[in-house]
Parts: sequence; structure tokens; C-alpha cells
Amino acid sequence: MLILRTLLMGPTHGHAIAKHIQRTSDEMLQVEHGSLYPALHRLVKNGWISARWELSKERNREFKYYRLTALGRKQLIRERSKWAQMVAAIHRVLNGA
Amino acid sequence: MNSRQPHDDFDKELRTHLELEAEEQSGAGISEREANDRARRAFGNATIVAEDVRAVWHSRWLEDAWQDVLYCLRMLRKNPGFTAVVVLTLALSIGANTAIFSVFDAVMLRSLPVADPANLVLLQWSARNSLQVHGVWSNGDCAQEMKGGNPTGCSLSKPFLEDVRAKTALFSGLAEFSEAGRFTLSGNGPATLALSQYVSGDYFQTLGIGAAIGRTIQPSDDTPSAPAVAVLNYGYWSTTLGADRGIVGKTIDLKGLPFTIVGVAEPRFTSLTPGHVYDIWVPLVQRHFLQSHWNPRMEDAGALWIVAIGRLKPGVSQAQAQSAVSVLFSNDAIHGDKPIAKGEDAPAISLVSAQKDLVGARGSLSTPIYLLMAAVGVVLLIACANVAGLMLARASARQKEIAVRLALGGGRARIMRQLFTESITLSLMGGILGIFLAFWSARALLAFLGSTSLRPLGISAEIDVRVLAFTIGVSLVTGTILGLAPALRSLRVDLTPALKEGAGKGSSAGHTGHARIGASSALVVGQFALTVVILVGAGLLVHTLTNLERIDPGFATQNILNFGVDPTLTGYKGARLAALYNDLQQRFATLPGVLSASYSEITLLSGSLATRGWILPGASHTEGHADYFTAGPHFFETMRIPFLSGRDFTPAEFLQAAQADEDSVPYLGPAIVNEAFVRVYFPNVNPLGQRFGFDTDEDAAKAASEDPKYRRNPGEVIIAVVRDSKYNDLRRDVKPTMYVPSDDGGTFELRTAGYPLAVVSAVREILRQAGGNMPIFDIETESKQIDDLLFQERLIARMSSLFAMLALLVACIGLYGLLSYELTQRTQEIGIRMALGAQAGDVLRNVIGHGILLATIGAALGASVSFAVTRYLRTLLFEVKLSDPFTLAGVIGLLLVVALLACYIPARRATRVDPIIALRYE
Repeated sequence: MLILRTLLMGPTHGHAIAKHIQRTSDEMLQVEHGSLYPALHRLVKNGWISARWELSKERNREFKYYRLTALGRKQLIRERSKWAQMVAAIHRVLNGA
Repeated sequence: MNSRQPHDDFDKELRTHLELEAEEQSGAGISEREANDRARRAFGNATIVAEDVRAVWHSRWLEDAWQDVLYCLRMLRKNPGFTAVVVLTLALSIGANTAIFSVFDAVMLRSLPVADPANLVLLQWSARNSLQVHGVWSNGDCAQEMKGGNPTGCSLSKPFLEDVRAKTALFSGLAEFSEAGRFTLSGNGPATLALSQYVSGDYFQTLGIGAAIGRTIQPSDDTPSAPAVAVLNYGYWSTTLGADRGIVGKTIDLKGLPFTIVGVAEPRFTSLTPGHVYDIWVPLVQRHFLQSHWNPRMEDAGALWIVAIGRLKPGVSQAQAQSAVSVLFSNDAIHGDKPIAKGEDAPAISLVSAQKDLVGARGSLSTPIYLLMAAVGVVLLIACANVAGLMLARASARQKEIAVRLALGGGRARIMRQLFTESITLSLMGGILGIFLAFWSARALLAFLGSTSLRPLGISAEIDVRVLAFTIGVSLVTGTILGLAPALRSLRVDLTPALKEGAGKGSSAGHTGHARIGASSALVVGQFALTVVILVGAGLLVHTLTNLERIDPGFATQNILNFGVDPTLTGYKGARLAALYNDLQQRFATLPGVLSASYSEITLLSGSLATRGWILPGASHTEGHADYFTAGPHFFETMRIPFLSGRDFTPAEFLQAAQADEDSVPYLGPAIVNEAFVRVYFPNVNPLGQRFGFDTDEDAAKAASEDPKYRRNPGEVIIAVVRDSKYNDLRRDVKPTMYVPSDDGGTFELRTAGYPLAVVSAVREILRQAGGNMPIFDIETESKQIDDLLFQERLIARMSSLFAMLALLVACIGLYGLLSYELTQRTQEIGIRMALGAQAGDVLRNVIGHGILLATIGAALGASVSFAVTRYLRTLLFEVKLSDPFTLAGVIGLLLVVALLACYIPARRATRVDPIIALRYE
């Protein structure tokens, strides 16, 4: 879900995704960068994101860019609402509704 | 999808990532190298990630398996010696199993070659006491027991089967059949003999068998007024008649009676009862004409001679049909026109599976086949133990490799799977090679099985789906068992000492090594124990065979030619028939190379036997019982059975016998008896001139009251005593035997000066000159006939020795492998010993001593086990004790000699260990 959310902002490459997740979560989610890649490939296989080698003009080298597909967008919405429901449920439990 | 492409793709992606990260890190003002390291650390284990990424795209399991197979093939190629030994061992044992199984499958499991065999039932009768019948005729189609408490059989009477047809509506068809015997077939070239079977009109329809050409027999053919027709077996038609399509519609003569051939049955229908192959089928009703004098009359409810297979109507259950048929049988048997049972006998019919209970040749072949199945099973067990030992030994050589893989994070499950892959690959390779071995050996075995049968077995062993499934199953099970030991062991590898072993001399590694050798030694001991069991079994069977072959049957068996002549077409009967045989006998006796000639109703040691009960002087009812033999002129001279007193039958006595037979009048006939006869019945008197077998006054009066034409039977008078000789079978003791002069004909016996078969063409020439289109059949030498009698013994003895030798070979390979392996482990130790002054002889003794110790323990263990196991062989043995010391000593001697050889090669190598090199290796 985090990866899909990251890609919502636009296509980017693996390293940038790792950095973005690390930064936005205020360094809370300290994962090995390596573990990102199997997840990326799994998403590609599910058809939620697509991947292509593209030349980055600003750095003048090839990167493998991942971008969200329409299917991925739907999936993100679905997962987000599920997540929200769960957070709400946990919140209710913790605060003794 | 190509598996390399995403892999390269990911490599590139990985590099990009690491470079980017390093660039970022180097911004913090550290060295390039430090930056690279940090980038790598942040990334984690790249190899595992790469594998995980690949796993996303591929079924991991399949890929791993394929990788395992490739890896294991590479390993096996690197160890060609090990691979060859293992694959060959497995191929031999799996091949032997496959061969025997394919024969087992062909004989025991193959389904009847008919349509929908599942709802065909065999009508089998049973009762509490013997049935009061006029006679029972059977050809071994099913298990039959006439004597004893609970007789059973499947021969039935025609009236009962007619009742089943008329009074029940259970079967959609009833296939009745009865063997007719061999008929002279003429009208189509020279006369031949064709084995024929009577079948009911709906036989083929019931079985669902069609015709290859023409048509099969139909119900309308089986009526008394119908024209005589016959249907040919496809095999007989294609081999003997040259597949002549024009034969259909032609008329041939059976026993001189015209029959029209209406068709040839479809090829798949070789035989109904396994091993009972008939050349020609004729309707049951034809028996009136073909065998008018034959005893069981069609309408006689007391003559049981027809076997019947019913096809259950749809919707009729087997239990339902059984109770209905059983009630009918019981009613007919107790209350019929000719009661054959009393109420308390509880006669009944069971409907049993035609597939399973139509035994035929299966009956006599089942003992050897089960025995051989057991033997090859043991061989496979030995091979398994052997290969497991070799693999254990090798697993220790690979201990380091496994430890390295474990240390590098290889999953234990993955390593175990690798080991299993290896063992299963090995055993499948063995299995595939084994199938080729089995392919020709099964053929050879069946050819051997069929070679002595009077008629073709009609059984062929093919490597079909079931046999392939068996082999693959055996290979997989074998492979799994083989992989088990090394795989379990690999789990217990202690990493540290195992890794150290290569570098320094690890004493702890030596310790695990010892445990492994312990297990391997146990396996070798086990192999030798099993080998002894199978060797002892084979030894006892071989000893039985030699005992039987060495028996003095009481006559000279060499240089005798037996053959039959069928004079049906001459039309001679009674005295004229006897004269024809007499004439032929005299002509044969004058042939060059023939020393003397005779004929007899039954030939000696052919398996056939006739017996007779009679009355002793002074007795009022049957007292004596003797084997009964009808001999022609010069019989004793021809067989070389010496006279102890008295004289041979005279030509006048033969004439008298033939004349009496023609007129059917009893007369006081001459009899020659053997020593056993005298010992039992006339122990203290001069047997010559004694009379026996006459009617008592009481008997004569009773018989005369029933039939006024009856004349008193005066019995026999003893004219000579001859030496004892075996009659039908080598195993059977010589019983009191009476010889009487032949009154018609029989099988000719020629005593030749040289090779018996050399005179056959001269015999044929004489028959041609004699005219009458007499076919000659069953041309066989007496020694071949005796060989055939011992066929089962020879088969079992040969095959079990073969498998025993195979077992011994495999066990020795095991011993050799173990010692060789041990030697590589002990190179340093031996080097030190030799450096300290041990002589080559000491080393030799040490290594051989160890091997022989294992073999001896195994042999002792096996000897005690064999006592328990060989009890099951008792019925097969002849004049051999189970604890036959000769066999046991021979077996153990052989085992130790061969084991010594297996030890010697590695031991020799041990003596060549150069102490300097061995120590430097350290």
C-alpha cells in the first residue's frame, strides 16, 4: 500500500521509492532497501503497477520507472478504505467506545 | 517465460540502486569504498533478494527441482565409478523385479480377453460330502476338490444347465464349454491334430467375442439337426493354416466327419481360461457324432463335464442370482431324476468371478511365480541396503560440501531435497535401464515357461502401462528409502568440526565418521544375512533338482523316442486296430538304428497314471490297489526293465487280449507285476501263478441279476515279476504295479542306438507306406519328457540360483564399496602404521579381517534366519532336509570365498599406501 501511495505522485524508480518511504515515515520504517524489490515485482505481476526502463534527462542515465496502473489505483482505494476501517476499529477499541 | 531475462534485468536494477545509494552516502564525506559498503549494508542480502524476485516470477518449486536434477547429474558425472555401480546394481535388481512382475502380471492379473468381464460369473458347486455321480471330467479350469469333506468343482451336467436356461431368467447368456481333446483334422492337406473345444451356441455372444472373418458359432448351430460347423482360433488360423482367408466356407474333416468352417474368432480372444488355448471350436451338440462312445451322456444328470460362465442380466445382482441358481441346483441334485446328493449334503452353487476363479495355467504357475517374486524382492532389498551404504559413505565425503551450504544459509529442507533428488534420480536411471533388462528377460522367461507346455500358453508378457507403473513405483520407493539415511544424517551435521575437517585433522570429525561407518557396516551385515537366506533357499531347491535328476527311475531313460500315431481315419477298431499297432511295432523294430520297439497306453514318467482296485484271494470285496499299466510287445526289453522271474507276454496273449476286448468278454488274463506288488500282496509265497482281481461269487451273482448277459470276471494270473520302476512322477514312490497286455494301441517307444530324433524321418516313411493318412504327434525323447516333468523344479532352481548369485554379487559390491571408502578414511592411519613398521601383510590382514568379520556376522545371522524362512519351501523339496548341512556349508563357503575376493582388491590398495604421501597429506 505504501508503494502504491508513493507512486500516486508520479512514476519513479526503486531507489527513490525506498528513500521516499523512509523519509515520509520519519525514518520510522527502517527496512532494508532490498526487501522493496520483491514487493515491487509482485505488484508488477499483479498488474497494479507497470515498469519500464527510461532515460532520465536530468541525470542522463537509465532508470527502471514504476508507475501506477488503473488497476493499481483501484486497488489503492480499496486497501485504503480497508485500512481506514481497521484504524477506526482499533481506535474504537483503544478508546473504549 | 525465459528465466534469464528478469534475472539480468534485476541485476541492472540492483546496480543502479547501489550506485545511487553510494552517491548519496558519499555526500556525507566518506571514502568511495566506505560508501559502497554502506549502500550494500542498507540493501541487505542481495542474493536472497535476487532469489525472491525470481520467485515472484517463477514457480520456485519446479525451478528448484530442475536445478537439483541438473546439479545432481553434474555430481554424478563427476563420480562415474560410484554412479555406474549404483545404477547397475539398481538396474539389475529393478530389472529382475520388473521381469518377474511382468510375468506375474501376464499370468495372474491380466483381465479376460472378453467384453465387460466384470459381470461374468463362474458357476461353482459345493457340497458337504462327495456327490454320487457317474463321473466328473475336468481340465483344471477352476480349483476342484473331489475327495474329502467339502468337495467343490465347476464341472456341471447338461440337464442342470438346461434347467438354468429354462427355469431362470438371471443370465443374458450362458457360455458352456468342455474340452474335446485332439481330433484328426483332414481334408486340407496332410492330416494334423487340432485341439478342440465344445462350446454352447451362445458361447461367443455371451462373452462378446466377434469374428475376424465370417461369423462365430450361433445358437442355431447348437441344435441336433443343424449342419456341423466349426470356428477357428485366430492364432491357429494365422500360424498353422497360413492365414488363408479362403478357408471360411470350406469343409474340413474332424475325425473323418465333415465340418464347415464358418469363421475365425477375433484376434484378442486367445483363450478364456488362462493357458487353455484351443485351435478349433465346435458346438456342444456335435459331441454325439465326434465321441459317440464317450462316457458322459448329454442327458445324464450324474455326469459332470461342462463348465459354465453366465453373464448377469442388467439389474440382477450376483447375490440374487446365486440364491436362485443354488436353489435350483440343490433341488435337481436331491430330487431330480438322477439324485446326486442327499439333503444333508447341502449341495449349493456359488457364483464366483470368472476373472478370478477361472484359474487354468495360473494354478500351476502361481507357486513358482510367488516364490520368484519373493526372491527378487529380497534382491531389491539387498540392492537398497547396498546403495544406501554407498550413499552414506559418500555423504560423509560430501559432509564438507553440505556444511558449507548450511553455513551459507542453505535451508536444511532444501539440502534434504537435494539428497532425495539425487537418490531418486539414481534409482530412476536404474529403473529405466532395468526396463530394458526386463524386456528381454521376461520374454525369455515366458518362452521357457511355455516351452514344455503341451499346448501354447497363450500368455505373453508385455511391458505395458501396469508394468511401467510398477517399475516407476518401485524406483521411486527405492529412491526415497535410499535418500532417507543420508538425508536424516545431513540434518545432524555439526558445522564447526565438519568445516574444520579439511583444514586440520579434526578428531571429532573422525568420530562422526565412525558412526557413519557403523551404519554402513550394519547395512553390509544385513546384506550378507539376506544373501545367505536367499542362497540357502536356492541351494535347497538346486539340491532337490539334483536329487530328482539322480534318481534311478528303474529303466534306462536315455535313447528312447516316444511318439503317438492317430489311426482314426483308418477306421480300425478292436482286433484289427491291435493288429495295426503290432504290425507297425514290428516294422519300427527293424529300422536301422532302432534296437527294439514297443508301445503302451501311457508312457513312463509322462505325468499320467492309471490305477485299479481289485480283489485278493480270500477276500470278499476290493482289497488290493495297484498302478495299472497297459504294455505292448517287447515293452520291458525296450525300456530295459529287467525280469526277476517269469517271462514277457507272448504274441498269442496280445491276440487274446484284443479279441476279448472286441467281444467285450472277461477272460483270465496274464499280468506281470513289480517287486512292490509282491512285497505288499504276496510276501511269503511264490508269486508266479497267483490269481487276483476275480469276481467273488456274491459279486458275480449280483451282477448277473442286473444283466443276464453278464459273465464272471476270472481276474488275472501273475506270469512274471519285474524290477520296480517309477510310473508317472519322479517324486512319487514306486507303488505296487500290474502290467497287462495291450488290447489296442498307444504311444510308440523306440529304443535307439544313437540320437533318438535321428530316426524320425524313417518312422514317417513307414507310416506313409502303411497308408491311412495317420498323423504322427508328440514326438519327444524320453529324457526330454523327464525334463518336462521336472520343469517347475528346474525353473525354480535356476531362477532362484540366478537371483541368489545376483544377491551375492550385489552384497559383494556393497562390501567392496564399504572397504574402499573406509580405506580412504584410514589412509593416514595406515600410513602411520606403516611408518611405524607395520608390514604389508599386517595391513592386508587388518583390512581383509574386517571385511570377513562383517561377512561372517552376516552369514551367521542369515543362517539362523534361513531356518525360519525355508520352512515355507518344504512342499517343494525332495529328499532334502531343511537344515541340510551340505547346502548350508556350501553356501557359507561360497559366500566367504567371494567376500574374500571383494576384500582383497581394497586391501591390496591399502598395502600400497606410501607412508610419506599419506603423512604429508596431513
